[in-house]
Amino acid sequence: MRPRILGRLGAALTCAAGVLLAVATAASVLRATVSYQTPAVMLVRADGKSVSLPHELDDGRPVLLNFIFTTCSSICPLTSRTLEEFQQKLGREAAKVHMMSISIDPEQDTPARLTEYARKFHAGPEWQYYTGTVAASVAAQKAFDVYRGEKMSHTPVTLLRSTPGKPWLRIEGFITPDELVDDYQKLLASP
Amino acid sequence: MTRPGGRATPTSGPAVARAAVIALSGLLGAGALAAPPLQPSVGETLYRRGLLPSAKPVQATREAGATLRGADAACVNCHRRSGLGSTEGRITIPPIAGPYLFIARGKSLEQQGVPFVDTERVNHEAYTDESLARAIREGVGANGKTLNYLMPRYQIDDAAMAELIGYLKDLKVSPSPGASTSVLHFATIITPDADPVKRRGMLAVMNQYFVDKNNAMARTKAPTLYSSHTMMFRVERRWQLHVWELTGAPATWEAQLRKYLVSQPVFAVISGLGGSNWEPVHRFCEAQSLPCLFPNVEAPVGHDSDFYSVYFSRGVLLETQLIARELAETREPVHSLVQVFRAGDVGEQAARALQAARSDAGQQVVNRVLKAHAASKDLAAALREVGPTDALVLWLRPGDLSALEKVPPPTSRVWISGEMGGLEQAPLPAGWREVTRMAYPVDLPGRRVVRVDYALSWFRMRKIPLLAQQVQADTYLACGLLSETLNHIVDAFVRDYLIERVEMALDHRILTGYYPRLTLAPGQRFASKGGYIVRFSDPQGSRVAPLGDWITP
Repeated sequence: MRPRILGRLGAALTCAAGVLLAVATAASVLRATVSYQTPAVMLVRADGKSVSLPHELDDGRPVLLNFIFTTCSSICPLTSRTLEEFQQKLGREAAKVHMMSISIDPEQDTPARLTEYARKFHAGPEWQYYTGTVAASVAAQKAFDVYRGEKMSHTPVTLLRSTPGKPWLRIEGFITPDELVDDYQKLLASP
Repeated sequence: MTRPGGRATPTSGPAVARAAVIALSGLLGAGALAAPPLQPSVGETLYRRGLLPSAKPVQATREAGATLRGADAACVNCHRRSGLGSTEGRITIPPIAGPYLFIARGKSLEQQGVPFVDTERVNHEAYTDESLARAIREGVGANGKTLNYLMPRYQIDDAAMAELIGYLKDLKVSPSPGASTSVLHFATIITPDADPVKRRGMLAVMNQYFVDKNNAMARTKAPTLYSSHTMMFRVERRWQLHVWELTGAPATWEAQLRKYLVSQPVFAVISGLGGSNWEPVHRFCEAQSLPCLFPNVEAPVGHDSDFYSVYFSRGVLLETQLIARELAETREPVHSLVQVFRAGDVGEQAARALQAARSDAGQQVVNRVLKAHAASKDLAAALREVGPTDALVLWLRPGDLSALEKVPPPTSRVWISGEMGGLEQAPLPAGWREVTRMAYPVDLPGRRVVRVDYALSWFRMRKIPLLAQQVQADTYLACGLLSETLNHIVDAFVRDYLIERVEMALDHRILTGYYPRLTLAPGQRFASKGGYIVRFSDPQGSRVAPLGDWITP
């Protein structure tokens, strides 16, 4: 049947491209230094408090930022686990970093659900989760170039910044906890 | 027959066992189906819950040393319940249902009756039991290359590994019951307490949609090239609708449904219409592993952790959350929360849910129950002695709201249910409008007009009478979502996969009818998450104004 064959062929080509990309992603972690303009949006922290994104980012501490959703079953558990180990590996030093995870599925990820998720990954007080309106979440995602339309299209991105006003280290791909600690320490040591 | 590892097969798989029960029931009558659900196999428990035969959580590590345990390490998280894989961002997680692993490279999957899925590796080496065990334990593929960083390395002994591999081999990729080579059978379920007008409206939409679908398929048979038009109808199977009308007491519905399913297996249940009790239908769909997509139900049951039933929203139960939030945030203290509803209607469930939410906060709650057929004078009596510091919540239908004309509006604040009262068409008397707020679990009329007009235009062109606008628009949306999802499925007619693809298709959807956004995911079974609190703008008419932003309680 011609339509079936053509359908399979088209879908197979799409699939082959996906596989190649998956391999490329797994094989490499890409790093770039980028400056971002932080949008003046309000988010809701997991403790229920309404907060300004620029204020949260610019509290003086180094910032580690990523984007997650709590019902994500493949990428986010791994990236969250990496942050958990990063926190553990830093030990007392962890209290000096502000770790921020912003939901890309904010209507589902209520403060209560984020709190439960944070508990699962043993998030310390320095690691905070944020939700808010869809518009606010999208604005934050776009500002940091992680917006990919649907939540299932997201990719693993971790952002690090040593102090307010400095550019960000953008890390794309699955970084290991040791590599992340290394990147963090190098970033702090750099002038 | 015994596989290497000593595992009895193929009759030990849950799907096979379930099929056997269904077949038996055909001989013995529907009563035989009342047997309790079968225990999941060892392999299934390991695959879905990450538990070893000892009931201890399985342990796994990733390349960089991170440890995973139990449910967090379960295969189902990435490869999904169907075993047909998934896509997240640029990462493609391959199918691991037996044929995709064990069929030799170079052989066409199609020739062997294995459906195409867009996650499959078209050029991987075939696994053996041994090389698959190595992949699971050491993260090395059949071709000797290291697997993706996402794939953990599992600590699983030989016996448990044999169970897991046996389970993967048993995962069905052949068409589920109800999907033949020429026909896709679907059912829609109507409970006896469903509104007869809504029933007519819903069936008019579904019957026409199925006719259109089949006509379009006939017109586009074997085109020379794909176009956007033919892509929409490339699943070359005729759709057939079966209307499963239930009768009698809810306690008998599951048995009736099982009987229907035995006499005519269907691939999925689409839309449907319930009254105050949908629980037996929900339970049936979960027990039979039967997708039950977007029924018109005002008080859906079930949880996000269920799998087979998906709903557009939580209906009146979402409204209780909207009202509870307002009450929690109100500055003036509320002395008593007085709720009025009719016995046996969905308002009873809503009132119970709001009572639970407010009782937790120490709120005094008074429920005033009207008999199902009580006259309007009883309604007036139920509204007496509501003081200015009380909050009055009316879980009432349009008939009762009209009857408020004869009752002076109270001095307290009032909330009504938009879902039950008819949204902006609720016939609330002028005197009540100033003190009344409405829970409104859909998008505002002005903002949804384009999305809903798409359905309304289709109704006009097809001469479908407009009897119950929201039910008909939701039904049309449900049919459209089914059609769109089946296009993505191509010919992998596996029920679990249908649910997984609905989750993905919904995020892409632009025309979302009454709802501003619809999203699902594993662990999300209610697609629209929020609503507004609105107030009528005028003493008459249907203009409403929101009292704040869209709320996701």
